[in-house]
Amino acid sequence: MENSLYKELDNIDGITADFERAGYICTTRIATVVYLAAQLNKPILVEGPPGVGKTELAKTCAHVIDKPLVRLQCYEGLDEAKALYEWKYGKQLLYTQILKEQLGDILDGAKGLKESIQRLHSTGDVFYAKEFLEPRPLLRAMEQEHGAVLLIDEIDKADFEFESLLLEVLSDFQVSIPEIGTVQARSKPIVFLTSNDTRDLSDALKRRCLHLHIPFPSIELEARIVAARVPELDASLTDQLVRFVHAVRELDLKKAPAISETIDWAKSLLLLHADQLDSRLVHDTLNVLLKYEEDIIEAEDQLTKLLKQTSG
Amino acid sequence: MAVTTGSQQLLEFIKFLRGRDVPISPADSMDAVHAASLLGYADRGALRDGLAAVLAKSAFEESRYHEAFEIFFGLPESRSPENQIPPQEGSEDPADQPPSDDQSSANQQQSPQQQSSALEQAANASEALTQLMASPLLRALQNGDEASLAVAIEAAARDAGVEGIRLFTQRGQFTRRLLDALGETVLRDAAIDLESHNRAAFEELQALREQLRLRARDRVERAYLIHASGDTEEFLDNTLSEVKLANISPHQMIRMRKLIERMARKLATRHGRRRKRHRRGQLHVPATLRASIATDGIPFTTRWKAVTKRRPEVMAICDVSGSVAAYAKFLLMFLYAVQDVLPRTRSFAFSSTLGEVTDWFEELPVEEAVTLVNRTYGGATDYARAFQDFADLALSDIHSATTVIILGDARNNNSDPRLDLLAEIKSRCKRLIWLNPEPRVAWGSGDSAMLPVIHHCHLATECNNLRQLERIVDKLLADSRR
Repeated sequence: MENSLYKELDNIDGITADFERAGYICTTRIATVVYLAAQLNKPILVEGPPGVGKTELAKTCAHVIDKPLVRLQCYEGLDEAKALYEWKYGKQLLYTQILKEQLGDILDGAKGLKESIQRLHSTGDVFYAKEFLEPRPLLRAMEQEHGAVLLIDEIDKADFEFESLLLEVLSDFQVSIPEIGTVQARSKPIVFLTSNDTRDLSDALKRRCLHLHIPFPSIELEARIVAARVPELDASLTDQLVRFVHAVRELDLKKAPAISETIDWAKSLLLLHADQLDSRLVHDTLNVLLKYEEDIIEAEDQLTKLLKQTSG
Repeated sequence: MAVTTGSQQLLEFIKFLRGRDVPISPADSMDAVHAASLLGYADRGALRDGLAAVLAKSAFEESRYHEAFEIFFGLPESRSPENQIPPQEGSEDPADQPPSDDQSSANQQQSPQQQSSALEQAANASEALTQLMASPLLRALQNGDEASLAVAIEAAARDAGVEGIRLFTQRGQFTRRLLDALGETVLRDAAIDLESHNRAAFEELQALREQLRLRARDRVERAYLIHASGDTEEFLDNTLSEVKLANISPHQMIRMRKLIERMARKLATRHGRRRKRHRRGQLHVPATLRASIATDGIPFTTRWKAVTKRRPEVMAICDVSGSVAAYAKFLLMFLYAVQDVLPRTRSFAFSSTLGEVTDWFEELPVEEAVTLVNRTYGGATDYARAFQDFADLALSDIHSATTVIILGDARNNNSDPRLDLLAEIKSRCKRLIWLNPEPRVAWGSGDSAMLPVIHHCHLATECNNLRQLERIVDKLLADSRR
């Protein structure tokens, strides 16, 4: 039944084609995992170096299946009040005030304490009712009627305890609210978790997810990605640029340039109307590609060698 | 049918993976079967990628997984005959029974033989040999009929229980069993028979036998790779972790190192939660409001955000005199392997004098550091001096979250070990653990001052193999979390 909800994701070749149309070039590996996730209703844990398109994958997926993207950015100290739900305290306080004012009307004519209490009970307890619930991303994703894509970004930045909080959501697609009970997802969302591998995630969390590792792409794949993202750029320059980036990744750098940096660089070259990589151009624009001063110096030292590799 | 044989094989594969250090839960297996049925077995690439997503949970496991996938599923061509055998054919042993119709007809189609060999000439003269020549096994061998041979070998492999192979040394034994199940004894008898009077025919038969033997050995080796290598590795690892650390020879060091790293990784994930950085002394507004509901919205009781705990610290004091040096090496290797979760370790080494060696471990690879420590501080033991030096160096740094580990045999050459200093260390720290590589029965014998030492420790325990060491580090990590 879930499959009908995400019918765009019911065959691997279709996923590859749809994603490509949306500007995301994915390998069959990525397409396979997305397909399995939709069919098995399991979250995908996406790992890989920063900037290889982990977050982008979730965004593209939401775009392709045309469902809302609910995003939860993790950080240290993130807790359930910010991830799951929160009570609207202000309104709850107001409610008690109103209740106090109305109390006379409700209890009007009641004889004795017993009857008063009974009357009070019969009005129903709305203090902890859904109306006073402020849904946060996780609960919001559960509440979507027609499916959604839930992106839990950089889960490794959140506290260890937060992972345990996620387990219920990830395996059963439900949220337990002590005052109300269990809230089942109206439709099961497609869940992406991303991690930059700054720490090991718990086994319990890993066990509930499909595991997808996205490495830096091959030259051909990256050239296709750049071509899809910056189609205006000359094909031979794209090729040259991607080769150069690959050569730079071989260096001993503090932070190797990722795909997003390659794309940024391609965009800057386009703005500069460049038609070929030469040492002057690279020298002027290297700061788009590399983010640390040491890395830039290191790359500039080897510039001629890098350019030779690129043309050869 | 196709699905069941497929999933059978998938379960075998999962067993194989478990043997190679990829933990897979039953729930994962179920997902894998489900995924495989969705993806189908036809597209090898998709199957590999899909199963990887379900079965391998980290980059390390993924590399193991891909290795295993290549070995287990091999190249599609080389394994396809085996994959396609339906189990019913397994009961049939072509060597003993009359050949089934399709097989013999297939053979006959191929059998118009151009060259009449010495073996065939010999067969004309002997009734027994003629029969032998007609057996499907020999025909298949002679004609190079790969498919029938593979079928026969598979069937025999099942009969011989080849999948039961566990140790590399069992290869010969299992090859023999497999050949027997193939009915190779008949060939051997014929060969012995021929050897005396027909040299040419004998050699031809021997060549065929050799061919068969090689195939059988191949099959057994594959079974070994799939079923046993994991077990053997585990067997070796188990032995290594039970053996006395002092008896570990240099050529086992690499394996030992890996083992320590793996144990450390296991412990690290078990205890590897990050300390929550609480915000000290801030009002927790939602909690306070919630608590105020009972008092009509007046914040009668206030709730505060949690306060940071003190950072735990470990100080390891190691005796590096001759008798204990080997143990110190492993303790330090272990401690530094769990550095990610054990936030601060300071290490000290002594024999007669004591010095802090923390910096060496931070700057050098563990093994180099250990050698350097041994060279600098090795010598005759003097606990009194060592405790005094330690007190001067670090006593004031010990606080209520410090665990002090002392590794030594407490043999002080009959001089006073200054246990009063030890008592003072104990009074300041959270836990004082004494690890003694000697067996408990030897404590207190000869010049060992271990018995009085016990009273000055929170925990005194025997520690001479990797398993015990792991247990202690595990306990240490659990403690430091509290």
